[in-house]
Amino acid sequence: MPKRTDIQTILVIGSGPIVIGQACEFDYSGAQACKVLREEGYRVVLVNSNPATIMTDSEMADRTYIEPITAAFVEKVIAKERPEALLPTLGGQTALNVAVELAESGALARYGVELIGCSLSAIQRGENRKAFNECMDELGIPTARSGYAYSVEQALHIVEGIGYPVVLRPSFTLGGAGGGIAHDEDELVSIVSQGIELSPANEVLVEESIEGWKEFEMEVVRDAVGNGIIVCSIENLDPMGVHTGDSITVAPAQTLSDVEYQRMRAASLAVLEKVGVQTGGSNVQFAVNPRDGRMTIIEMNPRVSRSSALASKATGFPIAKVAARLAVGYTLPEIVNDVTHVTSACFEPSIDYCVVKAPRFAFEKFKDSDDTLSTRMKAVGEVMAIGRTFEEALGKALRSLENGRAGLGVDGHTRASESKEGYASLLARPTSDRIVFVGCALRCGWTPEEVHAVTGIDRFFLDRMADVVAVQEALRGVPIDDVDADAFLVAKQYGLSDVQIAFLTGSSEIVVRTRRKALGVVPVFKTVDTCAAEFESSTAYHYKTYERPVGAGGAGAHDSEVHVGSALKAMILGAGPNRIGQGIEFDYCCVHASYALHEAGYETIMVNCNPETVSTDYDTSDKLYFEPLTFEDVMDIIDVEHPDGVVATLGGQTPLKLARALEESGVPLMGTGADAIDLAEDRDRFAGLLDSLGVYYPPAGDAATFDEAERVAQRIGFPLLVRPSYVLGGRGMAIVYDIAHLRRYMAEAAKVSPDHPVYLDKFLESAIEVDLDCVCDGDDVYVGGILEHIEEAGIHSGDSACCIPPFSLPDSLLGKLRDIAWRLALSIGVRGLLNIQFAIKDQVVYVIEANPRASRTVPFVSKATGVPLAKVAARVMAGERLADMDLPEDARELGYHAVKEAVMPFGRFPGSDVVLGPEMKSTGEVMGVARTFPAAYAKTQLAISYELPQSGAVFVSVADRDKRSIVSIARDFARMGFEVVSTGGTAKTLAASGVPCRTVKKVSEGHPNIADMIASGEVNLMVNTPFGHGSRGDGYALRLAAVRHGVTYATTLAAAQALAAAMEVAREDGLDIIALQDLY
Amino acid sequence: MSALSEKLLANTSKPERTPAVLALEDGTVFWGTACGAQGEVAGEICFNTTLEGYLEVVTDPSYAGQIVAMTYPQIGNYGVHRADVQAAHPALRGFVVRDMCQTPSNWRSEMSLPEYLVAENVVAIEGVDTRALVRHVRKHGALRAVLSTEDLDGASVVEKARASAPIVGANLVQGVSCATPYSFGCGDVAAGKDFALTPAAPTRYQVVAYDCGVKRSILEGLARIGCEVHVVPWNTPASEVMALAPDGVFLSNGPGDPDAVADTYREVEKLLGEVPVFGICLGHQMICKAAGARMQKLKYGHHGGNHPVANLLTGRVEITAQNHGFNLVFPSLGDIDGARSHGFAEHAGDLRTWVERGVAPVVHNARFGGIRLTHVNLNDGTAEGIAFTDIPAFSVQYHPEANPGPTDAHYLFTAFARLMDGRSDYLDIDIAQDRLQGWRF
Repeated sequence: MPKRTDIQTILVIGSGPIVIGQACEFDYSGAQACKVLREEGYRVVLVNSNPATIMTDSEMADRTYIEPITAAFVEKVIAKERPEALLPTLGGQTALNVAVELAESGALARYGVELIGCSLSAIQRGENRKAFNECMDELGIPTARSGYAYSVEQALHIVEGIGYPVVLRPSFTLGGAGGGIAHDEDELVSIVSQGIELSPANEVLVEESIEGWKEFEMEVVRDAVGNGIIVCSIENLDPMGVHTGDSITVAPAQTLSDVEYQRMRAASLAVLEKVGVQTGGSNVQFAVNPRDGRMTIIEMNPRVSRSSALASKATGFPIAKVAARLAVGYTLPEIVNDVTHVTSACFEPSIDYCVVKAPRFAFEKFKDSDDTLSTRMKAVGEVMAIGRTFEEALGKALRSLENGRAGLGVDGHTRASESKEGYASLLARPTSDRIVFVGCALRCGWTPEEVHAVTGIDRFFLDRMADVVAVQEALRGVPIDDVDADAFLVAKQYGLSDVQIAFLTGSSEIVVRTRRKALGVVPVFKTVDTCAAEFESSTAYHYKTYERPVGAGGAGAHDSEVHVGSALKAMILGAGPNRIGQGIEFDYCCVHASYALHEAGYETIMVNCNPETVSTDYDTSDKLYFEPLTFEDVMDIIDVEHPDGVVATLGGQTPLKLARALEESGVPLMGTGADAIDLAEDRDRFAGLLDSLGVYYPPAGDAATFDEAERVAQRIGFPLLVRPSYVLGGRGMAIVYDIAHLRRYMAEAAKVSPDHPVYLDKFLESAIEVDLDCVCDGDDVYVGGILEHIEEAGIHSGDSACCIPPFSLPDSLLGKLRDIAWRLALSIGVRGLLNIQFAIKDQVVYVIEANPRASRTVPFVSKATGVPLAKVAARVMAGERLADMDLPEDARELGYHAVKEAVMPFGRFPGSDVVLGPEMKSTGEVMGVARTFPAAYAKTQLAISYELPQSGAVFVSVADRDKRSIVSIARDFARMGFEVVSTGGTAKTLAASGVPCRTVKKVSEGHPNIADMIASGEVNLMVNTPFGHGSRGDGYALRLAAVRHGVTYATTLAAAQALAAAMEVAREDGLDIIALQDLY
Repeated sequence: MSALSEKLLANTSKPERTPAVLALEDGTVFWGTACGAQGEVAGEICFNTTLEGYLEVVTDPSYAGQIVAMTYPQIGNYGVHRADVQAAHPALRGFVVRDMCQTPSNWRSEMSLPEYLVAENVVAIEGVDTRALVRHVRKHGALRAVLSTEDLDGASVVEKARASAPIVGANLVQGVSCATPYSFGCGDVAAGKDFALTPAAPTRYQVVAYDCGVKRSILEGLARIGCEVHVVPWNTPASEVMALAPDGVFLSNGPGDPDAVADTYREVEKLLGEVPVFGICLGHQMICKAAGARMQKLKYGHHGGNHPVANLLTGRVEITAQNHGFNLVFPSLGDIDGARSHGFAEHAGDLRTWVERGVAPVVHNARFGGIRLTHVNLNDGTAEGIAFTDIPAFSVQYHPEANPGPTDAHYLFTAFARLMDGRSDYLDIDIAQDRLQGWRF
């Protein structure tokens, strides 16, 4: 069937901010969908609150609304734009949920909007486990024994029939949020009570545990006439019990015989049919009993998912693109295979390589939370690696994670060897490091069978890992000069990195590399082509591997599939896995650079290993290399491509760390050079520069030992901001107020970065923090944006809300900031982006740091001002001059306010304190645009929590230093009709100031106390500022309770003030919607 | 292979390495190590793109005369279960993989694949850059090759490849057909798949199957729809078949060049019109030859489990298992009958044109009247299936029995049962519904 002509305008809903369980894979899928729908001639209207996405670039849709993804806001967009259709299947659970809400409320019918891609009933059958299980019963496909609980009592009743352990899954939550495994009644009560609250349907599935079974996923695509294909099968390395998002996964399935696989395939297709998925991509998950092959279905998602993105990258089959075309009426055979251009998209990709996905965790950020992996996803990002064997792909995946490791062990980063018995507990508990411990255990004498008994990991994977360990151990101690070409080839085919070989042979990476190349052991580049080379393909999507040369003689030749053209070539190094501190923002910058450099006439070459991103879409750049961002892997590509320039300043710390080594190897860097980067990053050199420019900065020092640190502290005075050198996202950063705290910090900091000292800066209390992003071409500087932070200095800039233009700073001060930016950019020698962080205290401007690279605020600034800073920077790197680019005046009046707010993952890490500090903890961001600052801020709060408290009780409890300032805020709340509730000192202050206030007991004062009130849902809003540091008193417990019970809270006065103003604006004026296209 | 490389592998699951070489007639040489039986074999090189199902590939009699390379690099992962074999013994000449698994993992596994290959005397090589090999075959076509663990002189092995007999014109069927007739019924279905499949239906039909190298899964597929199958040698005279008074005749898959199997297709010509006939793969070619059609050799054949085939009668697409090197030249069956082809009176240069038109064209065949094109390969526009309009017969080039590969086309077995029931709407079946038949979840 050809495409539909009865619809002209299609509303696409994005997935909102990056949160755990819903990350930039939906930017990838949504951007693909927008692209395709516009190609097909439809008018696309987009709603997404996340500014750091490619899909919210104003040229991706006809109308782009960066607005909260709530039924109320989406309905406003529908009323204004009058789309005939809504495509809800490409924006994750968020889009699906809001679509369901709009359908059920009758809003879609009222405006004549048709859901395309998936009907309401199909969504309900797919997502409601009861309806789903009924469908499966009709098909005869077994599901785990289970029942639904709407109360703890019901859950206990169900367990009587099933027995512990049971798996608990709240309905309709993201990434399995609120789910878990209960082994006893205590665990059951705690998980079920939380889960019922988290579930929009107040429903929790209580299910027989099939922990230890093998887990598989099938990625299925179906069209309206019923053609169905399996794009990819995926096998989890971790058995059932670990969320698939937290598991290492392998594609294709490795341990299923044909009859088992085909049975799963037939079942998958039948599931889509039965659930009623009309068109598009879905994923179906199965568990298989390793002892008898018994198969049960776990769940299905009637939409594009994280696994779809992985499957697309793993096979080259663009699921989201195809799903978008199917949604508007095409059938699968009518769509041409995008990769081969000669065959049909109605086929099942055949791959001739092995793909390993590994999750990236961030437990180090959430100190008191449990790092055991469970059915509730905790990973913040992931990497994918392609190799010809599982062994090779696993090694690549593990060295892509950027956690200091260079593969499966033997890299100098694995902790000192335990006794054989010592590994039993490390293996039994699934954690982020278990894969490494498996390697260690195999190394110290565990057999694969023993490891299997403890971990449940399939013998296939363990035997392969045992082989890798055997090769490593045989190489240990061999002098590098004795390693011949044959041995190198074996080591490489088993996935060993040069770093590992250097470690084992007592050599250095560079020596290993030199010898390896001299012996002719170099990688061969192959292509991801969807068809295992059966047909010719024109898409340059490559990975590297090691193969024995082909040829008549002994020497032979490699069958390289890289076509090196004669055009100017620019290579862009991506950002690697998402983690806290380095997220989608950097991918955004890399993608923009690729677009800009392509337009400037370069052949663009992208290198990255993150399957969730737009940068690793094979049609973003002219060529894509899906490879780890290590020196070895990047140099191997450079050796083949010989790029004219390499961009290392847009992908965050990942490529920046490589800049010096690349430059020393003679690689031409584009833009800011390694020396300029060093000038900004080296504290002494940078301080010298600031001195020479007459710019203030907080007094500082560095120390490698506690004694040194103490001397610095005496010189500068407390409080101090302390951090290790070369940080990312403020990792290991803290504000210390006294000697004891400093001592504790130094003891812990040594672990963070042993080769680098610790920096100590004078901490400017109550200073206003400002970010400035600019581009410099060597002669001119363009200030893209000045961002005033809502929270005061001391909160990591990534976790602080901020506003463009600044809402409280005078023009004279802004002029001063611009002047400093000009002088700094020119004297550092920046050719591209520069981010400067300022602190302003008592009208004095201090420079805290300057980063000559893309910052995480670049996408937000670009969206807020309409000037695509990353593109501008890339054009500068390509030699263009700012003066020739026709950019708008950078000091112009915008006429509106844009606010960025951080999104925190605390709900995923029970036990971790929610107080903001110098260490970054947020996973994503939202943006709000409005005429006034409070209205824009209100939108950001709605975008995160979906609703603002309207009335009820507000609990106020603040530190002594905040007591004076809280009065006016509390008065505002009272005026808006809230009942102000308070304890102890704060209550006294409020009463003395005449603010009506109910005094309640502290936790320590007996019952009923404030904790009881929060638990019973009596508190709708909470303002709690922590006192001192490491607070373990009431505040900590109350903040945890607020997160658990979904109470809106503020932990700084500034945020409380902004929140009060926002709530007032939202109540009184309502909030209008604004399309980006109307702003600039 | 250096001493150090041997040392590195000494404690892995890999056995001690024996060098092996694969040489093509055009002089290309691939070095590797033995992972099956030792020896030296010659055959035509081909590749299979199915991800799993290597045992079904190794034991498929249609691979007689060929050296098969698997495109998925790691083979043998789930071991060998004898219920999955397609013939008592492999008929292929040699086996080529990138990496052979010595320590498989699956609850059904009885032995490792290399153990099986040694026991069945199949020469195999691993360590080959199989993707480079596939790209070479794609460019240069199916070449003659020699795989050896005995002669490691590349130039010498190339010469042997050049001297080996081509499979064009060779009758490979006689080597894989049964010597004497035998019966196969519901009691003969292997029990090893009972965990996944429902029991066979009670016997309703008596069917004679010409064994040109029949896959066991085809016989099981027939038994499951209620056929008592009388399997006869490839050159059994039609009169002997008709003497059995069967409800239907089945023509099996088989290896090599259809033109070389005249003793089968001449008998088929006598059977067509006398009894319902269904053919798969070589069986389809036998029917085409009986109708006087011409065959062509494909450059590198279709061997895999992911080819899309459009059903012109329903408009639906099936993902199919494929294994053939020769193909029907559709226009050679006769001129288009415009009146029965929605007014289109000319042959289309590319058969996919009929898919776009939504028309299943009918040709007028000099011997048997109307023949309808029912199935077309969407990848390359080759003919994949025909149905006779005036006599009860139909056939497909691909493999509805799968094994290995997707089971979308299972409905063709159902169609054969309907044909024997005398129904004229025998092909009008909902693929999705039928695909669920026979599975035990």
